[in-house]
Amino acid sequence: MSHPIHQPVTPDVDSFYQLAGCDLTDRPCDGTACFVAGAARCERDTRVYCLGRCFAAPARGLDRTRPRIEVHSREAIVLGRLARGGDASLVAYRNAGGGSALKKALSLKPEDVLDAVSVSGLRGRGGAAFSTGTKWAAVAKAATPDEKFIVANADEGDPGAYVDRFLMEGDPHALIEGMTLAAYAVGAQRGWIYLRHEYPFAKESLEQAIADAHAAGLLGNDILGSGFHFDIEVFVGHGSYVCGEETALLRSLAGQRPEPAIRPPYASEHGHLGRPTLINNVETLATVPWIFEHGGEAYRALGHAQSRGTKALSLNSLFVRPGLYEVEFGMPVRRIVEEIGGGLRRSSLKGLIIGGPLAGIIPPHLLDTPLAFEELHAIGAAVGHGGVIAFDESTSIAALVHHVLAFGSYESCGKCTPCRLGSQRLEKIFEGLAASDNSQKVSQDEVRALVAALRCASLCGHGVGIGEFVDSAFRHYGKELESCWK
Amino acid sequence: MLEVTVNRERRTFREGTTILAAARELGIDIPTLCHDERLAPNGACRLCIVEVNSSDRYVTACSTQLADGMDIRTASPGVEATRRTMLALLAADYPCEAVNSAREKPFHRLLDQYGVTASSGESRARFTDTRHPYLHVNMEQCITCTRCIRICDEVQGQFVWKAWNRGAETEVRPHHGNSLIESDCVSCGACADTCPTGAIEDRAVIEHGAPDTWTRTTCPYCGTGCEMLVGTKNDRIIQSLPILDAPVSKGHLCVKGRYAFGFVHSPERATDPMIREGATWRKVTWPEAVQFVAQRLGEIVATHGADSIGVLGSARGTNEENYLAQKFARVVLGTNNVDCCARVCHAPTAAGMKMTLGTGAATNSFDDIERAGAFLICGCNPTENHPIVGARIKQAVLRGAKLIVIDPREIELTSYASVHLQLRPGTNVPLLNAIAHVIVEEGLVDAATLRERVSDFEAFREFIAEWTPERAAVICGVNADSIRQAARLYAGSEAAMCFHGLGMTEHVQGTEGVICLVNLALLTGNFGRPGTGVNPLRGQNNVQGSAHMGCEPGNLTGYVSIEQGRDVFEIAWAAQLPRNKGLNLMEMIDAAGDQRLHALWAIGYDVAFTNPNAAITKAALDQVGLVIVQDLFFNELARDFGHVFLPACSSFEKDGTFMNSERRVQRVRTAVNPVGQSRADWEIICDVAKAMGHREQFEYDSAEAIWDEVRSVWKAGAGISYARIETHGLQWPCPSDEHPGTPILHMDSFPMGKTAPLKRIDFHPTTEVANEEYPFLLTTGRTLYQFNAGTMTMRTPNAELRSTDTVDISPEDLARLSFRDGEPVQLRSRHGSAILPIRSDSRLKSGELFATFHSTDVSLNQLTGPHRDNHVQTPEYKIVAVALHQLSSEPADA
Repeated sequence: MSHPIHQPVTPDVDSFYQLAGCDLTDRPCDGTACFVAGAARCERDTRVYCLGRCFAAPARGLDRTRPRIEVHSREAIVLGRLARGGDASLVAYRNAGGGSALKKALSLKPEDVLDAVSVSGLRGRGGAAFSTGTKWAAVAKAATPDEKFIVANADEGDPGAYVDRFLMEGDPHALIEGMTLAAYAVGAQRGWIYLRHEYPFAKESLEQAIADAHAAGLLGNDILGSGFHFDIEVFVGHGSYVCGEETALLRSLAGQRPEPAIRPPYASEHGHLGRPTLINNVETLATVPWIFEHGGEAYRALGHAQSRGTKALSLNSLFVRPGLYEVEFGMPVRRIVEEIGGGLRRSSLKGLIIGGPLAGIIPPHLLDTPLAFEELHAIGAAVGHGGVIAFDESTSIAALVHHVLAFGSYESCGKCTPCRLGSQRLEKIFEGLAASDNSQKVSQDEVRALVAALRCASLCGHGVGIGEFVDSAFRHYGKELESCWK
Repeated sequence: MLEVTVNRERRTFREGTTILAAARELGIDIPTLCHDERLAPNGACRLCIVEVNSSDRYVTACSTQLADGMDIRTASPGVEATRRTMLALLAADYPCEAVNSAREKPFHRLLDQYGVTASSGESRARFTDTRHPYLHVNMEQCITCTRCIRICDEVQGQFVWKAWNRGAETEVRPHHGNSLIESDCVSCGACADTCPTGAIEDRAVIEHGAPDTWTRTTCPYCGTGCEMLVGTKNDRIIQSLPILDAPVSKGHLCVKGRYAFGFVHSPERATDPMIREGATWRKVTWPEAVQFVAQRLGEIVATHGADSIGVLGSARGTNEENYLAQKFARVVLGTNNVDCCARVCHAPTAAGMKMTLGTGAATNSFDDIERAGAFLICGCNPTENHPIVGARIKQAVLRGAKLIVIDPREIELTSYASVHLQLRPGTNVPLLNAIAHVIVEEGLVDAATLRERVSDFEAFREFIAEWTPERAAVICGVNADSIRQAARLYAGSEAAMCFHGLGMTEHVQGTEGVICLVNLALLTGNFGRPGTGVNPLRGQNNVQGSAHMGCEPGNLTGYVSIEQGRDVFEIAWAAQLPRNKGLNLMEMIDAAGDQRLHALWAIGYDVAFTNPNAAITKAALDQVGLVIVQDLFFNELARDFGHVFLPACSSFEKDGTFMNSERRVQRVRTAVNPVGQSRADWEIICDVAKAMGHREQFEYDSAEAIWDEVRSVWKAGAGISYARIETHGLQWPCPSDEHPGTPILHMDSFPMGKTAPLKRIDFHPTTEVANEEYPFLLTTGRTLYQFNAGTMTMRTPNAELRSTDTVDISPEDLARLSFRDGEPVQLRSRHGSAILPIRSDSRLKSGELFATFHSTDVSLNQLTGPHRDNHVQTPEYKIVAVALHQLSSEPADA
């Protein structure tokens, strides 16, 4: 008998994950970008939803090849060094001006770092778009007799997104500096990078960078002679999409079954091991050094309405020019598709999935919507992680819905009823509908009831997102689905 | 206050109220499956969704707190449709025969309410367990609400149930093993109690059907005092369930309270009065038995005098019955020779605490567990012997409270402890003195308390200076730094609470050890406040009550000395009280050995089996001319020494009250009729008293009538009427009908005044020491599944969970002596020998042994010796020097 919180992962918790000890070499990717690029349908027990190689889909196994990386915003905030082809070393980072934000911050008060972020209007890039300054302030003011923690959410699980992967592989010191600034601002002494299992190169790169930062006095005791201590560890997940949800991520980090929990309590007060914990996504943290160096106002000057600054987008292989692009918020989606992506390779655009498959589809007639949080939300879509998956006329909607339901059901944690059982039931229904003969007609009422239960009653964004996706398919592609119903 | 609209009606509620609580307050039914009041909200089943402010993103009522201005619809068409959809998902692949066979289960009722039919689709290969004697598991009926997992984690703290896999493949199974028997399960049955489908169910319900009658009563086992709901059918007990609003157990029970009631209907129940005739026993009628007893007692009084008779009350009996037992001894017989088994357990606590604090009972309440910042657990093993207290302490420690364990063995709680002082048996006094030394030396005392509430500090300071941790470390076999650490933790906490048990009291320095513990509380101001105090864990349901009712040679009802209470009691009883000093239990045995005791009436007390030094005890009992045995079972005392047997009934078969460890008087109620001809102890005592010419003093028509007499003579209990303790009980002092009872003693003063003295206790070690011939020190104790003499538990399926006593030995010693684990061995002490299986147990230190004492086949008290506490003569059960021998009888090389 011992305290569960300190236990290593037990067999029951281990059984939750599908990739513990799994070799990814030569494993085909089951992600959405690969699906729309014509990958064979997945029948395997162990699936890999996205290796982060959507620019070269259908993908198989691991590969270090970098995609095309360009900056299309007025300021290069997160992709500048990558776009210039810089390497991941500390020397390269410093040569490109990296590190100066930390040096400056350590001579100022933590509140000054916090203020800059608050002024910038930066919102979380992991999908929820919560105000970063507000979150930092909550952790900074959380009273605790114990230490505080910071966790970088590097569980970039949304199929179609590979932004964080290349930020970590190619520019790891930006994340480390961002985390250190955040730790300084909120008063944390220890940090973890919760990295998904599917990104082994990022692990190498981050660990090397952490070691180099230590050697250079940028991490560890008495950073740059300031008296401030901070350490970072890389924690590699075992394969589970829901671990990207912050309550699940924290449970996973603590060796517990990684089910999302109802909130409150929020991580800012009751996070890792019950202590105040700041959780930010990789791109969010990598943005922080620029903001602190150039000032919150400079960042705030970029963007659109409530969506300030820039966003890195990852375009899939169906575009003429797949790759990573930094754009300013407010750019119409049509420009992303037509100018940046160069349109589609094979046939015309049938629809666009931005921010992962657990959000609504954008049909061609809504392409003039600006890329921004509230604006996309208004048309039932989302910015999410910035993955942009275009699909063309070769993709049947029933098959796409089945693919997403198979993903959703496979990755459901099983905690809440609609997601655990509803996504599986819908998957079975659409399995029949997606079959080539398309002869098994089903009750539209039953499907709609299940979708409503997912959308309206799920515990976390996973089940809600599955419902929203199917709902948007009904909304925009109802005609194509008509033949399915009894 | 918050103003909200619920189903179009405006209402106000307190801040912090959940939507579910608000709805229930308004009598609005919101369906739930994963919710249980005992657990933190989980929001997983989603059945309790409601619509707030017309949003179609429903929120769960169980986990959402009200916000001002909320407009809540608890059953909008969308919400109801979504609930039906989710129930249909849960009902697919759910066995429909389960629904038909147990319609009252919450899940089945909901299916019915929403018109959803279980469709028994694909049969799922799920965990099943039919090997456990009490729990039946069939996870085909599991709907993954995880209440079992969470109640095991959050209430019991056993962490047995786990969710495996994920998504639709999620299933609930134990952490390891193919049966709960192979897991860490402690059979508390909380999972079965909370399960909404019957996937985990009491085996008795599956075998006999659900009970049809329910009776609220109090558990007959340990002194924790858990109220419980006893379910019966055809005058048989089927089930015993925890009660959510029970003041101590708060919706939880342990294996004994929850399941170990089978003894009531045991075929071994002795239900006929019997009189010995030579080597055989003759069944007689009640009148004949009563007449026999009355006549023989009368003869003995006439021939040898009343002081040649001893009466033993029973810790298993009610307060009312113990009151009558001592009234009988004093009024009918005319002797103060009356005692009870408190003599062999917590008499040192009562004496030590009375000498220092003025009241010989727990200072605080179990509800203080949640208010304490630190615990000092000394010589008790709560997770096995007071499991509800143990579970509450575990949860408190998991939430951050600090824990110090003083015990020669590792116990379950030591794995939660910051410090474990694994002392040599019998060295409590030097260890506690050293802790006091550190508290004084390092200035960790509470100066204000010392000034205002404590006396004799200067003399104590001088005395304790000698007791350095280094000096104690040598005597106790512990590390001096650990002693310092324990002192700092105890004194450094805002509120620290002591619990102690028989590891404290059953020593030659039992009373003195208790005083040393009290010293710590006095020095640090850990008394008279929430979350503090010195709190004995009483071993039996009513051992607190039996002594308190006056089954004590020197004290009358209310722990009032005979001289102090003489006037009041002589008027109340219309009788003269005997003048002679009474004999206590141990003195009665001594007197028997000297042929000075001619009769012994043992009520629910197998003194032949449980007294120490069995050879001497038995030789003494053999001298007694009349042994009256009143019990549920034909026990060892009856078999070997009895002359007349009076069949008593259990607490499930009668009314009355018990008094728990925290001074709480709670109701006991008749759940089934007395089995056979058995009768309540109080009825038997009254009949004998009447037959001896004391009709008027023993004329009662109910237990309540006796209790009302108790209240008339016991001032501090005057306010505790049956009407006021329908539920919950009351803690004395409760001197009037308006008094709310006293959860915490000594808040402003002690019974003897404003201050309590620090006492200087030196160390006088026991003479029971190991040597070459007897190289091991044996200490004794109980185990989770068995209880004391095993009279009850051995006659329940608990015997399947723990069938015999064992002697536990460290793996090193086992290996050194080349015994096989599990092999029967002979233990020899200077006082006798016993044979029992040896068991390797890494929780023991080399050179020390631990044995349980429940089994009559083993009869461990053949080993225990004659040593007794210096003040109250409690036997030194906890230390015997022994040698281990192979059964072939060659001494093993030690």
